[in-house]
Amino acid sequence: MNAPAASAVDANGAPAASRRETLWHKALWKLRRDRAGMAGLAVVMLYFLAAIGVWLGWWATGWAEVAGGKWEAPSAAHWFGTNLIGQDIFARSVYSISTAFEVGLVVAVLATLLGGVLGALAGFFAGRFTDELVVWLMGVLDSIPFYLLVAAIAFAMAGNPYAMHVAMISTFWITTARLVRGEVIKLRQLEFVEAAHAIGVPEYTIVFRHILPNTLHILLVQSTITFVAAIKSEVILSFLGLGVKDGMSWGLMIAESTIEVLAGFFGNFLAASLLMFGLVMAFNFLSDALQDALDPRQVS
Amino acid sequence: MEMLQYSLRKLLAGIPLILGVTLVSFLLMVYFGPDQTYTLLGKNPTPEQIAEVRAQLGYDQPFVTRYAGYLRELATLDFGSSHSTGEPVSALLGRTAPVSLALVAPGFVLGNVLAILLALLAAHHRSRWPDKAIMGLAVVGMSISFLIVIVAFQIVFSSASGLNMFPVRGWGASSLREYLHFVTVPTLAIVFVSLGYNTRFYRSVIVEEMTRDHVRTARAFGTPPARLMLRNVLANCLIPIVTRIVFSIPLIAISGSLIVESYFGIPGIGKATYDAIMVGDQPVLKAVVGLTAVLFVLAQLFVDILYRAVDPRVSLQ
Repeated sequence: MNAPAASAVDANGAPAASRRETLWHKALWKLRRDRAGMAGLAVVMLYFLAAIGVWLGWWATGWAEVAGGKWEAPSAAHWFGTNLIGQDIFARSVYSISTAFEVGLVVAVLATLLGGVLGALAGFFAGRFTDELVVWLMGVLDSIPFYLLVAAIAFAMAGNPYAMHVAMISTFWITTARLVRGEVIKLRQLEFVEAAHAIGVPEYTIVFRHILPNTLHILLVQSTITFVAAIKSEVILSFLGLGVKDGMSWGLMIAESTIEVLAGFFGNFLAASLLMFGLVMAFNFLSDALQDALDPRQVS
Repeated sequence: MEMLQYSLRKLLAGIPLILGVTLVSFLLMVYFGPDQTYTLLGKNPTPEQIAEVRAQLGYDQPFVTRYAGYLRELATLDFGSSHSTGEPVSALLGRTAPVSLALVAPGFVLGNVLAILLALLAAHHRSRWPDKAIMGLAVVGMSISFLIVIVAFQIVFSSASGLNMFPVRGWGASSLREYLHFVTVPTLAIVFVSLGYNTRFYRSVIVEEMTRDHVRTARAFGTPPARLMLRNVLANCLIPIVTRIVFSIPLIAISGSLIVESYFGIPGIGKATYDAIMVGDQPVLKAVVGLTAVLFVLAQLFVDILYRAVDPRVSLQ
């Protein structure tokens, strides 16, 4: 990592001048001291374990089985009670964690990759045709309200279950690309890029080997932000009937709960919203902490 | 004169964007969209009937002709009639748009005004407890899904388990009383959901401005805090604030009302769009998607021109 040479003593009194003190060491040190951020990380890891358990079939396997009577009250067997047809609400809400992670991971990884690559290309070729094209594309996709784009893509893909993923990726890469583009425009004027040019490194190698790795801190923060956005959108889209169709999602549970809550049964609603709130909040704290740790210029 | 030139240049620069958004919505909604032939035909159609409907829908025309046709529809606001109700799309939009506006406007205004006030308060007490409390609550607010807020507020305000003061669903605006009766719960939900994001954004903008030298100087001259925050800080932050407000109008108006209206059963543009999505009503969808995208581009251009009006530092070049 070509981080700028670190000063001997950090302004915050960070452990001074070890030989390999890079941006990443300092960031890690700062992140570790951020209590809210570390708590967020721990909670996210807990959720991730829960999702892995679901994928491996360790728990929540009976989410679709009828395990009890209609609208049973919470009990030792059914922690959040049962739903209209007697399925265990807790199992369903835990299973939904894996859905959330599935959507979040796919969308965050692909959108960040796409945003990083297109943003870097646009920034490196700023003012040239590639850049104009990418900027135009960003402007165009940004101008179509998100839910309408999802609806339009779902409409065009005629009910394909990945319409939701495609729609999210095709909008969420834009913010990342904007930030990366701005950073690359600054980076490409630095000496190490000039040196690479001078010894005849091909342009695309410069972009992907030498410049893009220097935007990793932006990509990392953006991927957590994208993850949160994907989870929140997944829930709303599933609720609207545009997202998860054969599977379970907090959005579907909340959709189920809309009739129940008026009748005084809160199991579905509480289970889905509490689990979702916990995950989103933890992720928000984590991404705030990452941002604080990795972006020294930001005023807080 | 210079200003006029600038405005015209901005408008010219908007043409590729307008072509872009119309092209994307055309490709998704019309060109690659599901084949509408059989939704319009009765049972057991003859080949002649099929050919006739296909010609009527323009499926036999080349790409450019069909795209030009879509542009003409957008320009003349003539999208034909809804497939499900038979109502002309322009009439449908004219009937539903005012409802959405009346529904979303109070929440939108309150959400931004309250956020700016909270952000000023937080920035003024930067790094002390009021700041930490406000920003902590903002993260909590950001973490609660719109959906959860709507359901929770409905439980609290509209159900027998809560206060039971407001209706669960429906809409009416024939009198102020009726309007308030129906608009209160959706408004509270919209304010609650936007407040966290808005406050955080406005605070970061305001804090950044407060680190500038001119603010330090003003403070050194003994400017009273309220005057300092309003005149020296807020006035200089207007550009990002105006940008955010204008840019969020189409999002709030369509995306926000899509959820609120479909949930509360309010006959606005969001509900119409939702219904159109559910039954695949192409004329309505292509009108809504195309028009909002074009309006959004125009709003961006308007902001660019407005910048120049509120901030003389913006270059005319």
